Amino acid sequence: MDITKVIVTKDLCKTYGSGPLRVEALKKVNLVVDKGDYISIIGPSGSGKSTLLNLIGCLDTPTSGKLYIEGIDVSTLKENQLAKIRRDKIGFIFQKYNLIPTLTAIENVALAMGFAGVERKKRIARAEELLELVGLSHRLHHKPSELSGGEQQRVAIARALANNPSIILGDEPTGNIDTSSGNIIMEILEDINKKGNTVIVVTHDPTIAKRAKRMIRIQDGVVREQHVEG
Amino acid sequence: MLRDNLNLAFKNIRERLSRSILTLLGVAIGIMAIVSLIAIGEGMNVAVTEELSSLSDTILVNVGDGFSIFSIGSVKESGEYLTERDISDIERIPGVKEVTTQLTGKGILQYRNSNVSVTLTGMDSETMKLRYSSENLESGSLLQENDRNKIVIGAKIAHDYFDTEITVGERVKINGNKFIVAGIFEKQGIGGVISTDDIVLLLPRDFEEIIGEKNIYSATVTVYDINNVESIALEIERIINENHGEDDFASTTTVSSILKRIQRVLDIIQTVLVAIASIALVVASIGIMNTMLTSVMERTREIGIMKAIGATNKDVMIIFILEGMLLSIVGGVIGTLLGIFGSKGLIAALTSIVLSYNVDLQPVVSLISVVLAVGVSIIVGVLSSLYPAWKAAKMSPIEAVRYE
Ligand SMILES: Nc1ncnc2c1ncn2[C@@H]1O[C@H](COP(=O)(O)OP(=O)(O)OP(=O)(O)O)[C@@H](O)[C@H]1O
Ligand SMILES: [Mg+2]
Repeated sequence: MDITKVIVTKDLCKTYGSGPLRVEALKKVNLVVDKGDYISIIGPSGSGKSTLLNLIGCLDTPTSGKLYIEGIDVSTLKENQLAKIRRDKIGFIFQKYNLIPTLTAIENVALAMGFAGVERKKRIARAEELLELVGLSHRLHHKPSELSGGEQQRVAIARALANNPSIILGDEPTGNIDTSSGNIIMEILEDINKKGNTVIVVTHDPTIAKRAKRMIRIQDGVVREQHVEG
Repeated sequence: MLRDNLNLAFKNIRERLSRSILTLLGVAIGIMAIVSLIAIGEGMNVAVTEELSSLSDTILVNVGDGFSIFSIGSVKESGEYLTERDISDIERIPGVKEVTTQLTGKGILQYRNSNVSVTLTGMDSETMKLRYSSENLESGSLLQENDRNKIVIGAKIAHDYFDTEITVGERVKINGNKFIVAGIFEKQGIGGVISTDDIVLLLPRDFEEIIGEKNIYSATVTVYDINNVESIALEIERIINENHGEDDFASTTTVSSILKRIQRVLDIIQTVLVAIASIALVVASIGIMNTMLTSVMERTREIGIMKAIGATNKDVMIIFILEGMLLSIVGGVIGTLLGIFGSKGLIAALTSIVLSYNVDLQPVVSLISVVLAVGVSIIVGVLSSLYPAWKAAKMSPIEAVRYE
């Protein structure tokens, strides 16, 4: 398996429910993502964008088909092994930020490193560094409830980067944020991509989608490659 | 990581402060009950041991079937007594240091024209000093060797038996003979090993004059070597029974065996009480479990987030177990402190209301019981948060993205 292909899916399927409630959210998705790619995923609501991203992010397991992350067949992994893939190889950014409400910005970022067993001093130092990177060095000790949506999302990005994952996934990361803050978020993600990380972003916003190197459209669980003009 | 987990646990406890306080209060009450009961039990044990251990070289010889804490001093109705020969035989047993005798007989005590039947106890001044100290007296003094026609009486006789209270220096009559009250014992109530409340103490010479003979009801034997106490006791029993040609004419009791018996009874009482108190702890642990389960439900999303960013099942379990443990340790420490102070109060209440006399009973809080209490609260915390923690760990990371 070629390690430059960080994500490979083979006939990846995801079905929810059974009987009359059965939904085929993803139908035989075949996708190859190279290291350093910057991909946007678009498609109508309910088409399966989040489902695909959740599978790639190892938050969920496929119904059938294969999924390789950096050459590892994650479709056969046990729960705890998946947790370690999520911890070490993937940084997930959610539409609703998903910070721990009781923890401050710096603690939220450090928590992710704690699960990886990074020593406390190093964790704090790196969390500070990352928050500075996303322009929040003046908000280190604020709780999520004391931050704006855009600021919370930047904390979430810092957290996603904490364990130096090669893959950054964002499910509508700008969905809850005004355009100018959204632009800041996208700029940060693009900077990260320039440093060599693979970035995949789900979005409804065509202008954001067009900033990516590759654009993928999903319709009814079927993936089609879309050409990015200009 | 532990520090961060603790930090997280603290914050979550603070976040739900009133619920947390109620939960740990449950633990505190359970631990308090256990700590104070152990402390009181230990205190009783120490008090009894202190009172008796100085007498561990002592053997009590009685006519009849043995010594009971409450019956010493009462007369065997058969009217049989130890003889001078018995006493000199005992004195000849190797290892015996000293034999003192106690004479017992019935008498009529007359004071200001009213009569009361009492048990007379005769012993020489040496023995008296050995058994009682002037601290046991509420007023007056013990008898001296040369005293004649003087008695020391118990508190009940002085205060309760007659319409007018008897005071030191007062004149009374026993079987028609005139006596002066030289001392009065202080009130002992229950709890004393050998009650002095109903006693009428006099010297052997006076006793003989009233009763007409030396009724040796019991003898007190001391030995040189405490280790021989039990074997000498058996030997005494054998010799006296042989002298009287009866299998169980007399019996012996060593103070250390009394001590053991009392301690065993105290142990049983304490075990039962602690077992009852433990029910409170079981209830408390159900409280922790309930609180933790609620917390897990409320934090479904938070748990999902933690798993989404890479927490393993173990990581999540540790977070919740630590939280439950923290609750119960804080409860345990508060309970221990309450128990230490509570037992003081409880003893004060006990001694003033129930025992109604002044006894030197102090709760004894041993390091072991404190360690035990805190240890138990840790175990309770871990056990009762195990299931909630497992439920939390089982949650899926998708919970983080649901409900969007
Ligand atoms: N847990 C679930 N159980 C049952 N069906 C589900 C579940 N999650 C998603 N689905 C269904 O799968 C399909 C794809 O859902 P998905 O969330 O991937 O869509 P999406 O493209 O992200 O939509 P949106 O743009 O609205 O976020 C939808 O029809 C949805 O109803
Ligand atoms: Mg979606």
